[in-house]
Amino acid sequence: MKQSKRTVFIAMLALAAIFVSSAAFAAEEIKVGALFPLTGPAAVSGQNCVNAVQAAVEVINKKNADINDPLAAQEGLVGGKYVIKVVPADHQGKPDVAKSEAERLYNQEKVFAIIGCYNSSATKPASAVAERAKKLFLCGCSSSAALTERGYKYFFRHAPTDAIESVEFVDYIAYLNKEKNAGIKTLGIIYENTEFGKHAAEEAVKAAKKIDLKIVADVPFNNGATNLNSEVQKLKSANPDVVFGAALGGDYSLWVRTMKQVNWLPKMAINYCTGYQNPAVQKELGSDGNFFMGGMGYSPELAKQFMPEGIKIQDKYYTPKSNQPFDSDSIQEAVMMMVLAQAIEKAGGPDTEKVREIIATQEFPSTMSLSGKVKFSPDGQNAEALSVITQLHEQSYKTVFPLKYKDFEPTIPMTPWDKR
Amino acid sequence: MSNFMQVLIDGLLSGLLYALVSAGLSMIWGVMDVINFAHGEFLMVAMYICYWLGFILKIDPLFTWVASGIFLFILGAVTYRWIVKGSLGKAAMAPLLATFGLSMLLKNFCMNRFSPNFRLLSGTLLDGKTFEFCGAIISLPQFVTGIFSLIVVAALYWLVKKTRLGWAIQATAMDKEAAELMGIDTEKIFLLVFGLGGACVGVAGGLMTTYLAVHPEVGGLFSLIAFVVVALGGFGSIPGAFAAAILIGLVESFTGFYVAAVLKYVAVFAIYLVVILVRPKGLFGW
Amino acid sequence: MTLTKKDKLWYGFIICAVILPFIPGVIGGGSFFGHVATMILLYAAMAQSWNIISGYGGQVSFGHSVFFGIGAYAAGLAVVTYETLPWYGVPLGMLTAAVVSILISYPCFRLKGHYFAIATFAIVEIFNRLFMIWDAVGGALGLDYPILDDGWKNFSWSDTKTGYYIGALAIFIVVFGIVRWIEKNRMGYYLLAVREGQETAESLGVNSTIVKLGAMALSAALAALCGAFFAQYNYRVDPPMVMSLDMSMKFVLITILGGIGTFWGPFLGALVLIPLQEYTRAYLTHLGAGVDLIIFGIIIIIVMIKEPRGMMGLLSYFNKGKKEGEAKL
Repeated sequence: MKQSKRTVFIAMLALAAIFVSSAAFAAEEIKVGALFPLTGPAAVSGQNCVNAVQAAVEVINKKNADINDPLAAQEGLVGGKYVIKVVPADHQGKPDVAKSEAERLYNQEKVFAIIGCYNSSATKPASAVAERAKKLFLCGCSSSAALTERGYKYFFRHAPTDAIESVEFVDYIAYLNKEKNAGIKTLGIIYENTEFGKHAAEEAVKAAKKIDLKIVADVPFNNGATNLNSEVQKLKSANPDVVFGAALGGDYSLWVRTMKQVNWLPKMAINYCTGYQNPAVQKELGSDGNFFMGGMGYSPELAKQFMPEGIKIQDKYYTPKSNQPFDSDSIQEAVMMMVLAQAIEKAGGPDTEKVREIIATQEFPSTMSLSGKVKFSPDGQNAEALSVITQLHEQSYKTVFPLKYKDFEPTIPMTPWDKR
Repeated sequence: MSNFMQVLIDGLLSGLLYALVSAGLSMIWGVMDVINFAHGEFLMVAMYICYWLGFILKIDPLFTWVASGIFLFILGAVTYRWIVKGSLGKAAMAPLLATFGLSMLLKNFCMNRFSPNFRLLSGTLLDGKTFEFCGAIISLPQFVTGIFSLIVVAALYWLVKKTRLGWAIQATAMDKEAAELMGIDTEKIFLLVFGLGGACVGVAGGLMTTYLAVHPEVGGLFSLIAFVVVALGGFGSIPGAFAAAILIGLVESFTGFYVAAVLKYVAVFAIYLVVILVRPKGLFGW
Repeated sequence: MTLTKKDKLWYGFIICAVILPFIPGVIGGGSFFGHVATMILLYAAMAQSWNIISGYGGQVSFGHSVFFGIGAYAAGLAVVTYETLPWYGVPLGMLTAAVVSILISYPCFRLKGHYFAIATFAIVEIFNRLFMIWDAVGGALGLDYPILDDGWKNFSWSDTKTGYYIGALAIFIVVFGIVRWIEKNRMGYYLLAVREGQETAESLGVNSTIVKLGAMALSAALAALCGAFFAQYNYRVDPPMVMSLDMSMKFVLITILGGIGTFWGPFLGALVLIPLQEYTRAYLTHLGAGVDLIIFGIIIIIVMIKEPRGMMGLLSYFNKGKKEGEAKL
């Protein structure tokens, strides 16, 4: 029995070896793992993220005279000595699978670094593997603030955290109260009872204290619920001025529709990175999704104005793969790929310690970030992370805050359902 | 007070929906002593059918429930012929586990083909329509589903209790061998029962597309609730399942509003345990 | 089947499994095979623990992830919340799981057939949702392990699988050893008697309640042991990961596919399912989402229709020739 098991194993290893070595390249390959949920509930987002990483790699590996990005003009890295190869892997949205896949990528596939993992709950154990093995782990869009509070040395994250977003939300409310006399005094929070939703809610509570926003409703719900009637009824009877929402995909549309059904709206509804910023969800909601707001690090409208080179990358390499424009999650993974490549370029090769040192200390220009640059603070969080508040109008995200990026006068309070 | 009315009516409407979803399951259980684990996935398939009919051919789910009902009748019959029949009478839980395999197959097939995206029909006839009753706001799609639920449950009850076919079904349920001796083709009865069970969930799924998003995991919680409903109602008792569904709907709604929203399903499953420990065969069980 | 042959197989297997880590490059380092081998042993032990009550005892429980989760949380709480060694958590977890299992099972054993099965579903859902909101155990956030020193003290290794493999092998030997012992012991005969007919067993002076409760408590404690290992292995515990219907179904499926109520069934099931799961995920991702699960589904259906005794049934079919294979049902 043991013998046969080992034979099978050796045969599999041999197969794997053939599989890997069959691609012969003149330049040396640097493998980078792309660990995302390719199956399971978050699969669509995960697949977009892999495509985005691959788009970035095409920019790096190929000659792209038309794109004005630091690594676009030359072929490969360090004068053509290295090229990047993406190894996609699937963690199904499960922390235990993420952990074992991260180990497989580092040990078996010998990847130099991993980019991942979309779900915060999967990023945590996977990056713990990296930290223990002293390998690089780059995170684009997982938003849990706890990720960069662990004191990891090999972990870097691009996205603004729930904490940054919450502070921005209340800053905006403070601004509205002061300048526009909006009179927003009470807050309701509705969030899915998961790692993501709970973190967001905790940060919201912390931020609300700063401007004495009174929390009148704190409504966690089970994701994938059959209905949200009692949740929305609770919000309605507490009648807060503003609601912070953290509901993904289908729960978001269920939430919006249930509010329509009970004919209630707060003055403002601001969402964390959720179903709100998913164009597919908004398309299905149609005009019901109007006037809701949310924090975003990216929107097609903003991209046109502030990241023209990013649009070029999108049109040339991303859209042909995924049949849609970048979204705020996937583009951040592409940015992390770019940052990694720039650091390898500066280090002159794939030397983990050198590259880590460079990522940790230097500032990188980034054509796909709103702020145009990336710089990590000592905890690994991108200090230049920017998030803007947008309001949805007929499926187009209009930027309303910070004022520097504002391109639209928001409708506040939201137009009630019966007046639409 | 208006809160109370709203919560009460929401609970009743959810209860009616659960009754519609579990009616077929209850009937299959009662006649064959089989739990169809793929019940939730049947629901999902029905929802996808009506979604695509609505999306591509622009036919409103208010009419396409007929199509999904018929398709699910066939799917149910096929499931019986190819999967359940082979596993009947083998191991104790064999049909349950075989249909569990079917549920994995259906769920991941839909995941593979249709992606896990949430899909919602917009602009359906009933979409977003509401009316007021005693200070509570009632959504028309849910109300219509509730009416259908009453009709379907009543029709099933009538079929089983008042028709010759129903008597044959009852006879088969009580004693398969004796029924065969009486000249009842029990094979046909089983096929029909599985088909009818499928058709009920097909109708439910079709109507649900008017207000719920479709995705490959949509069946999960519904099937768990349906299991609880039929077991709470008692072995194959259609009125029992109906009463249990209403009870579950009310418990869910009242706990959700007056206790805590995250506890609503805890309460649903807890009420099952409490009742079942007092009455081990369910509310109407014998 | 003769006992001696079975014994030979059993000791031979243990010797092979123990030698495996000493062959360089097979288990050690971070080899993926080391991971798969560890998972096979762990899932085989989990399935065997379930087999005690559900296979030998005939009470098909879909609730074992609750006990598995309690074990995982015990280890996780010891390390993360109380900042001590996981070893203190393990016995506490096993004890808690045993007590909880008795408290749950005592009333539920009155339920028959599907009523019992559905009750165990409901219990998993209740525990899952309560742990999701119970902040003292991390709630929905779960418990994340800090980075600990490698070694047996913390039962944690970052660059090698050898320690985990040995740990899983130890659990495997304990669980399978206990079942071997039960099989030959009075307890085993009592269990089988209760499974075959509770009334008959009672008329022969077997206290069926005590027998079933004892088997359940043992089964739960062993499941908790596996859970503690699982938490240590993944550096994380959260309710969807350890205390979910998905996890419960793994206990059930592995055993059923391998052969319910047989000694080698759980191991056979894990030996086939776990590599299938791990390697299809690693090498078939390009086929699109869920292909491995579609294959699983089909295998389950075929096994349940053709051979409800699982792979053990297929093996005996080959061993004893067609004639006997057809004679059995």
